[in-house]
This record gives sequence, C-alpha cells and structure tokens, in this order.
Amino acid sequence: MAAATQSVRPETFRLAGLRRLFGSQEAVLLGVILLLFVVVGGINPRFLAERNLESILLGNAYVAVAAIGMSMVIVSGNIDISVGSLIGVLATVSGSLAVAGAPIIVSWLAPIGVSVLVMLVIGFMVAYLRIPSIVVTLGMLSILKGGLISATGGKWISNLPPGYNLAQNDLLGVPLPIYFMVGLTAGAAVWMRYSAAGRAIYAVGGNAEAARLSGISRERTLMMVFAIHGVFVGIAAILFATQLSIIQSTVPPNLELSIITASVVGGVSILGGTGTAIGSTLAAVLIAAIGSSLIFVGISPYWLRAVQGTLILLTVLADLMRRRRRAVRR
Amino acid sequence: MILAAALIVLALQSEQFLTVDNLLNQGRLMTEIGLVALPMTFVIVTGGIDLSVGSIMGLCAIVLGYSWKNLGLPLEGAIVVALATGTAAGFVNGWFITRVKVPPLIMTLASLALYRGLAEGISQAHSVRGYPEWFFVLGQGDVMGVPTQLWLLLLAIVIAWTVLARTIFGRALYAIGHNETAARFSGLPVDRYKTAIYTFSGFMAGLAGFIFVSRVSTTRSDMGTGLELDVIAAVVLGGTSIFGGVGTIAGTTIGFVLIQLLKNGLALTGVKGDATIVVIGTVLILSILITNFVQARRAGER
Amino acid sequence: MMLRTLTAALSMVLLAGPALAQTHWDGGDDLPVNPLSCDGGGGGAAAAVAYDGGQPAGAPDLSGKPITLVDVPKLIGIGYFNATSKGMQDAAKELGNVTVTTDGPTEANIDKQITFIDNYITRGVNGVLFAANDPVAIAPVLKKALGKGIHVVGYDANSQPDAREWFVNQAQFNGIAKAMIDAMAKEIGEDKSFAIVTSTFTTPNQARWIAEMSAYAAKCHPKMKWLETVEAQEDNILSFNQASTLINKYGDELGGLFGMTSVATPASAEAVTQAKLCGKVAVVGLATPNAMKPYVNTGCVKSVVLWNPVDLGYAAVYVTRAVVDGKLKAGATEVEAGKLGKLQIVNGSEVLLGPPFIYTKDNIAGFDF
Repeated sequence: MAAATQSVRPETFRLAGLRRLFGSQEAVLLGVILLLFVVVGGINPRFLAERNLESILLGNAYVAVAAIGMSMVIVSGNIDISVGSLIGVLATVSGSLAVAGAPIIVSWLAPIGVSVLVMLVIGFMVAYLRIPSIVVTLGMLSILKGGLISATGGKWISNLPPGYNLAQNDLLGVPLPIYFMVGLTAGAAVWMRYSAAGRAIYAVGGNAEAARLSGISRERTLMMVFAIHGVFVGIAAILFATQLSIIQSTVPPNLELSIITASVVGGVSILGGTGTAIGSTLAAVLIAAIGSSLIFVGISPYWLRAVQGTLILLTVLADLMRRRRRAVRR
Repeated sequence: MILAAALIVLALQSEQFLTVDNLLNQGRLMTEIGLVALPMTFVIVTGGIDLSVGSIMGLCAIVLGYSWKNLGLPLEGAIVVALATGTAAGFVNGWFITRVKVPPLIMTLASLALYRGLAEGISQAHSVRGYPEWFFVLGQGDVMGVPTQLWLLLLAIVIAWTVLARTIFGRALYAIGHNETAARFSGLPVDRYKTAIYTFSGFMAGLAGFIFVSRVSTTRSDMGTGLELDVIAAVVLGGTSIFGGVGTIAGTTIGFVLIQLLKNGLALTGVKGDATIVVIGTVLILSILITNFVQARRAGER
Repeated sequence: MMLRTLTAALSMVLLAGPALAQTHWDGGDDLPVNPLSCDGGGGGAAAAVAYDGGQPAGAPDLSGKPITLVDVPKLIGIGYFNATSKGMQDAAKELGNVTVTTDGPTEANIDKQITFIDNYITRGVNGVLFAANDPVAIAPVLKKALGKGIHVVGYDANSQPDAREWFVNQAQFNGIAKAMIDAMAKEIGEDKSFAIVTSTFTTPNQARWIAEMSAYAAKCHPKMKWLETVEAQEDNILSFNQASTLINKYGDELGGLFGMTSVATPASAEAVTQAKLCGKVAVVGLATPNAMKPYVNTGCVKSVVLWNPVDLGYAAVYVTRAVVDGKLKAGATEVEAGKLGKLQIVNGSEVLLGPPFIYTKDNIAGFDF
C-alpha cells in the first residue's frame, strides 16, 4: 500500500499505459480480427478483397452503432432487450413517412425523436419507479412487437422515394454507414472517458451508493443514459431501414441478442463499471467477419451459433483473467 | 388481484373459457413453461438468472431423437441420455458461474447460443419422427381424465414448494439472494448450492423437452426458442424480485397459470395474436409498477 | 485459469471437426425425389391414388349455411401470407356465406402455431385452414380438430395426410424445381454455377424444393454446378448480407443465385444490384411481385417464379366450402373453384392449383401483392 503513494516517474506511467492498452479487451479483439483475416485470407484470398471487407464492415454497421448505446446501458448496470423490436418499429415509421410524402430529412430524423421518447419512458420507469430494466424492456419488447404487426398488418414498405436510401451512398468511395460507425464510436469513447457526464455512467454502474455520495444523481444519470441510447438506436434504425429498397415490417429476429453480444464481447461488463464503445464496435465487426468467414471456409453454417456462444465465453474468461491479474498485482 | 378481475371479465366474454375441457387443455399446454419456471424461481431468488433454458430444451429434444435414431439406443435409453444432457448442460452453467465467477447473465447468454448451436449442429436440420405409441402417453395422454404431464407438473410444484419454503436449503437460497457475501461468511456452501440449482434448471429444461417432443411427436432444433422470456415473465409476475431474496413457488405458479389463462382468454374472446402480446407486455409492467407502489406505500407508513 | 481457457479452446476445435465434415446441403429431409422429364411437359397424369386424407368425426351438416373459418399460416407479417389472406377474403366475398379470419404467430414457430389452432378449436370454428411449420408436429392438434367435427384444409405447406381432409398444393414440388432450374439455365447457360439462399434448413417446403432441384439439375443439366446453400431466416438484411458474401466469395465463378423465399429473393436481387453485377449474375427465385417490381423493371431480374398466392388462398376457401356442402368427397378427381374453374386432384387428397406462374417484365405490373 505504501508503494502506491510514492511519486512515479513519467516513464513508468507510459509503460503502465502501454501495458494497459495491450492487456485490454479492445487489443485482444483487434488481434483476433487480424488473425482471422490472415487465416481465412490464406484459405481463400477473395476474403480479403476490398468488396468483401466492405461488405463485412457495412453489413453490421447498424449493429455496431446500436451496440454503442447498449454498451452505455450495460455499463450503467442495466440492460435493454427490447431494442430489436424498437428498431423494427422505427424503420417502419421512417419508411411510412417517406412513402407518405414527408421530406426525406424528416423521415430520417423523426425516428430518432421517437426512439428518444420511448427510451425516456423506459428510463423513467427504471430510474424513478425502480422497476428492473430487464422487466421493463421485456414488457416493452412484446408491446412494440405486437403493436408493429397490428399497425402494419405485416405489409412491407416499398416504393421508397429516390434519395431516401442514406445507407447506400458513398463518400470518397467508402460507404456512408462506415463513417457513421467509426465516427460515432470514436466520439462516444472519448465522451465516456473524458467528460464528467460520461464518467458518471461508470460510477453509477460500478457502485451506485458511492456515486450518490459523490454527488452524482443516479436518476438523472440513468435518464441521460437511456436518452443517449435512444439516439444511437434511432441512428441504427435509419441505417437499417435505408440499406435495402424495401423495408420489412416485422421485427428482425434475434437482433437484440446480436447487439448485446457485441457489447458483451466488446468488454462491457454487466457487473458495471467497465467497457468502452471501441470494444463493442470491434466486437460487432468480429462477429460479422466470423459470419462471412464461415461461408468462405465452407464450415457448415449450423455451427455459427455455437461459434458465437464459444466466442462470448472466451471473451468473458479473458476479461475475468485480466481482472484477477490486475487485482493480484495491486 | 387485478389479474383475477381481468380473468373474470374474460370468462364472462366467452363461454368456452371456464369449461373443464379448456382449462385442462391449458394445463397441458403450460406444463413446459411451468416445469422450467420452478427452478428459475430458485435461480432468480439467489439473484441469478438463466437465459439458456430454451436452448437446453431444444438440445435435449435433439439428443433424444439423435440417440434413438442415429445412435440406435433403445428409446428408454435415449430418454435417459436426453435428461442427462440437460443436467450436464445446467451443471456446466453452474460450474462456470461459481468456479470461474462468470456473471449469470453473461454465462447463460453464451450458453444460450452455444447449446442452440450444438442442437443445430448435431441435428443438421433433420427431424426425427416415427416414435412408438407409448411414447406419446406423456405428452398427449390422460390419466384419470387429467393430462399426464399435468400430474407431473403438480408433483413438481409440491416438491419445489416444499424445498424452497420448508428446508434449510431453501432458506439458504434466500440468504444468498439477500447478501451473498454474508451468506458465505456464515458458512453456507454457497457455491455448491448455486451449482445445484443451475443443474436442476438444466434437468427441468430437459424434462420439458422430453414432454414437448412427446406432445408434438417430432424433434426440431428450434424447439424452445423464446422459452426463457416466457418463464422469466411468469416468475417476475409471480412476485419474485429480479434482485434476489424475494419470491415463492406459489407466486410463480400463479404467474405462469395467469399468463397462460390470460393468453387463452384473450384468444377465445377474439383478440388476435399480435394484440395479445401487447396486452401481456403491458400487464407485466403494470403489475410490477403496482407491486412497487404498494410496497413503497407500506414502507412509508411504517 | 489457463486450463479452463484451454478446455474451451479444445472444445471449439472438437466442434470444428464435424462442422467441416458436412458442408454441402442437399435438401436433407430424406424423402424420395421425383424429377420430371427434361423436355417440357410436366410429368403426365399421375396414376390414380386412393384418397388418404383424414375425415372429421360427426361434422354438423352446414351445406348452404354460413360458416366461419380460421386461417393459421406459418406466420403473419410477410407479403406471401398477406397475399393468401387477400385471396381468402376475395373468395369469402364472392361466396357470400363464408367468414374467414387470418391469425397466427409472429414468428415461424410450430409451438405457437399449435397454440393458435388449439384456441380456435376451443372457440368453435367450422373449419381450419393452415400452412404448417412442421408436417408432423402439427398433426396431433389437427386430428383433434377433426375429432371435434371441424373441417381441416391445408395449403402451401402440407401436414401428414391423415391429419387433414384436403391439401391445396400450389404446384408440384418437382414442377417448381423444373421451372426454376430451367429458367436459370436459360439465363446463364448450361455450364455455369449457382448458389442458393433459403430461409432455414428446417423449413419443409424449401427442403423439398431444393432436393427436387438438385435431382432435376443432375438429370437434365448435368454441367451446371451447385456451389452452396446458405440460410438467412426471414430476415431481409441477413439475406442481403449472405447473398453479398456469396458474391464476394465466388466472384466470377458465380453465375446465378436462387432465392427460395419471398424474403431471400428480393434481398439477393438487391445484393446483385448493389454489387453492380446486374446482367452478369442472374437471380431467379420465388417471391411476391411487389417486392420484385423494382428489380424486374430495371431488367436485373428476368423472371420470378411463383404461383399466384392470392389464387392459392382463394382456392383453399372454395375447397373448404365444397367440402362442407358435400360437393367434394373422398375419391373425387376434380373440384370446382369459382373463377379458377375446375382444379385437378392428385396424389389422393391434394388439389393442384396449376403449373407455376412466371412473372416477367411484361406482366408484373398487373399484380399488386
């Protein structure tokens, strides 16, 4: 204990920082992705073709964006299993607006507003009414899913006006969703680590009582978290809706599981208190890459789920090992 | 209380609702959820959760079919192997949760994908059908006019209730849920108990799988998908707190019976499927809201 | 800790073993295939087969009286079943004494479908129309319906024959297979390769079609190579991603994509369009016209194979009405179905809608479903 209070030389600081970087979940994920590319690329070089890499990054961009918000929710010690249904609803809202003749910009922004609204309601119930988030979002999942089918009767939305398909555009040869994914990730990561509000989320998730004693309002922080989550989900829904020329009016199955998996594999801990947006985005990319590589390598697609499950497990083990080691070193 | 009122309204709306025939039929249909909800109560009381029960159910169903058809085991043997698989799957969950200290939410999220993946991989999408007549007695038969599996469920409820409410093991679970560190310090074998309940959860999921296969006479790798959410909804509705330390078997039983009857009643009144799940979701949130409100009131009064 | 990580890694390797073993999926439902002859003309009139459907016990005589039917498709919320439902409503309006309600699960889940049918049995309907998620699993509840005097007629996806009275088959499995493979061969040539995007490997209809396609291709277009089959649930974006990956993987080797569902086909067409490979990679598949209009109009997709699902629903209601009125009995060889005229009865208890219908640029504008 005494050693900790001695002043530390700058070099040691830098080394410690580097060690933390390499031992981090994000580094592990990056390493696995690179390894995957090397191995699968070796088996079938077309895997590394620009088109395919673009497909991989593009295909799961919306999952990555949603996972950023989800990471914040999980860091704060909660969870949201209704996100898949919400994205389905938002996509339909967006498409319906566009087809009904609303200006395209409205059909892009309105769903974000709806999303934030829904999330504020959920946040209110979690923060002020003290209903566990798993229960609220479980109920919300059913309400949204049933409501969507009732409202649309299952009809798909086609005849989208030209210019609507945001996700299909390129900027300097790189598809737009990738810009969203990278930009939002970087922004979120910086915000969470360096802003007071961002750090408050970690505090509330790690030890709510201690946070309260330091003057952080649990309720207000949670409302903020859900609202921000709403923004990310809204953006993800737009990316989802504008990808293809038709919008499915049903809820994509298992979407919430994919998003939560991305967050968890990205190093976000349900124990609260740790995890970053960079991790979850890398994880989303990894999962997409694995899905693609299974086809390239020719592994029976039945094993995809098993691979995903093992992946989660290995990630968590790695995370726990790191915590153990860090605790021992102190 | 509100739910009882709702049920009365539904009963009045449709004359087929309260018939013995219908109620017994509902009993048959809800057995799988009921059986899995019992160990889930134990798990949630200790502050944990098990999201993998649906996948374990599917896995055991596949193993049953696979060992009978592809491995050539006699059907009785296949049933035993299937139940053993469920138990083992639950044990693996419990082991990782207690020894490796993986949080239950994460572990069972991983095993949800893993076990489902195993089911899909082993079955390679083939179904197994053509079971002999005696196999269907469990799922489709009656004993003294009551569906066979309902007797099994009743037995399980009684046993589970006794264990949770009347034994030291049961009380220990509450203690663990309230404050695990304190429980550990008081000398309770926390790890062993936790492993036991997850193993039990796996076994019941396997049993539910067996009953389900018997009821529909075939195996599919997508069986049990979504089961965990229905079960958790029932347990929470029955008054078990997701934070642990509170909950009873009686409450859980009321929970899954009510959900089943609510769904059934709504359908019989002519409400279509999509609207029904909206109602269930709303009911879930409202009931917790009201419970919290009442508890807060009571606490305030003191 | 290391030990545990090692065990986890080891188990993954063990899983990989059998995974690598089976990669080429060929339909997997173990039923015999029956490819048609190569040179046009769908297989000649099948030999008369004895009626093998089930019969209701003590069904009330409602000939000429109003009846209520319930339609429980595989799932609700996709264009295909919206179309069959529309056909049923059209038929009901024409007949004047039939009420049909469509209700079903929001996912293609057999357990939920069984619960729906069960509830309607308790409610007391006169007839059940269904498209089964699983032919064997649905049998017990259908037999229960028959036992209570409720008429049972299937469409689109069959159950075991003795669990329903009649099944309206949109087209023979081998007929569909022939139409699809022939269309593909015509577009890309005899010695190119193709891949298939389907919903899941456990969906019985798709499994049958693919098995028949494989047999027919082997018989009549032996030089066409079948690269692989991927599954994409009923998810639009997933189908798109899978199709894109196939295009990326095989590059020039891929001549065409088959879409096996009304979700997979438009998504595959979208993948080809976004990859700017229209005209170089053909897309042939089963889909609803509305979803495919954008692609057919740009010429990216030349033909969409289907039957008319609106007609399918329409026929199902007419068949049920005929059964209730006593006009359609076991052993019949044809049945009158409103504007569709007389429909043939094959395989004992199947009502055949007709040959597959091919939507092309010329006729697709006339359909709205």
